[in-house]
Amino acid sequence: MAIAGEKAVFWYGCNMTRHGEVIRATTRLLEAVGVEAAPTGGPASCCGSPKDASARINEGMARRTIEAFNATGRQKVVTWCPSCHMNMRDSMAPVTPTNFETVHVTEVLHAGRERLRPLLTRPIPARVLLHGHLGFDGRVPVNTLVPDLLRLIPGLTVVEHPCRAPGHMCSSLAGVPGALADAQRATLAAMAEAGADTLCTIFHSCHRELVGLEQNHPVTVVNWIHLLAASAGIAAEDGYKAMRNAADPRAALGEAAIAAVGEVPFGRLVEPELRKAPPV
Amino acid sequence: MSLAGHIRAESARLAALCTGCGGCVTACPMAPYAAGVEAAGPAAVAAGMLDVLRDGAGTPAALAWIAACTRSGICTPACPEGLDAAFMLRLAQWRAKGALGTPPLIPVREDTQYSPKVKAFARLTLTEEEQSRWL
Repeated sequence: MAIAGEKAVFWYGCNMTRHGEVIRATTRLLEAVGVEAAPTGGPASCCGSPKDASARINEGMARRTIEAFNATGRQKVVTWCPSCHMNMRDSMAPVTPTNFETVHVTEVLHAGRERLRPLLTRPIPARVLLHGHLGFDGRVPVNTLVPDLLRLIPGLTVVEHPCRAPGHMCSSLAGVPGALADAQRATLAAMAEAGADTLCTIFHSCHRELVGLEQNHPVTVVNWIHLLAASAGIAAEDGYKAMRNAADPRAALGEAAIAAVGEVPFGRLVEPELRKAPPV
Repeated sequence: MSLAGHIRAESARLAALCTGCGGCVTACPMAPYAAGVEAAGPAAVAAGMLDVLRDGAGTPAALAWIAACTRSGICTPACPEGLDAAFMLRLAQWRAKGALGTPPLIPVREDTQYSPKVKAFARLTLTEEEQSRWL
């Protein structure tokens, strides 16, 4: 599937480490449209926003990231996370000079959609509602680009509905009491009105917050990359959903996986999130 | 320029251009989640936000609105002056969190386990080779 082409950095962000298969599949889809993108993320490639309460620390983290990107010599950074993308434009690049352009992954894949089209051969019979937010779409029209890509998949119908959640992704709503539950109720109502059986997330934090809907509602929640990957025959099992919706996450993951994290870090850092009750 | 300098310069520039009409507050889908905003009214809330951009302490309603900002961004097309209102709120939120070294004006929810959590999940979903190359 690989086509020799432009070299880039695929800056997947921080919390995407919950979704390793999405990083892998996105990298392969980027290759398919002619972009050889080296995945980079985690705390060493931070935009600085986790330290918004200190401009000094925020700036230091952001500068380290830009300097690392500059050192690669790659002239394009492909973003995944809307926060990273906006912070690059708003606060990172204005402070630390860059020698690359920043583009969002949806723009790159959409621009290369004629290369993707012949690869998307496996039908996916689903009526899909896009989980869109009001935010970020004014910067990059993700609420249009992603449905355009999904319509390339045979058998898949993207249903139309004007429902858009506030914020730029669900993690922002999680910090405002009541906002995330309200947004999820509105999303479920929109699915019912539109006759959708599948909810398609765009961003990782939305996916993280929404897969739990499957516990209490007759819906399927997938990310747009999962859908493209499935149609293209790229293996991309949703590992996060499996552990998040397991009756017993420990049993589902098994001893070896927990040992890889470490018993104490797993119990302190991972397990509470996996056992958290869905908001609705 | 430092980030602090960027925040100060952009705050001053946008505060000078803003008329404080409150169109951004009216458009904001998060206003219902911010205590006191409806009672104070859009113009008063916008004035409080401008006060924060000018090194002031703001007002309780303005601070509640700033804290509730989730970057919906529709304040920007709503601005009759064509300003990047969403960025104004971002600047106000930085300032209200104490980013410039002053005491915070709004609660700061900083997850001290943020990076360890990111790495812990990486150990579950990425191979050791991927962790060494991609993190």
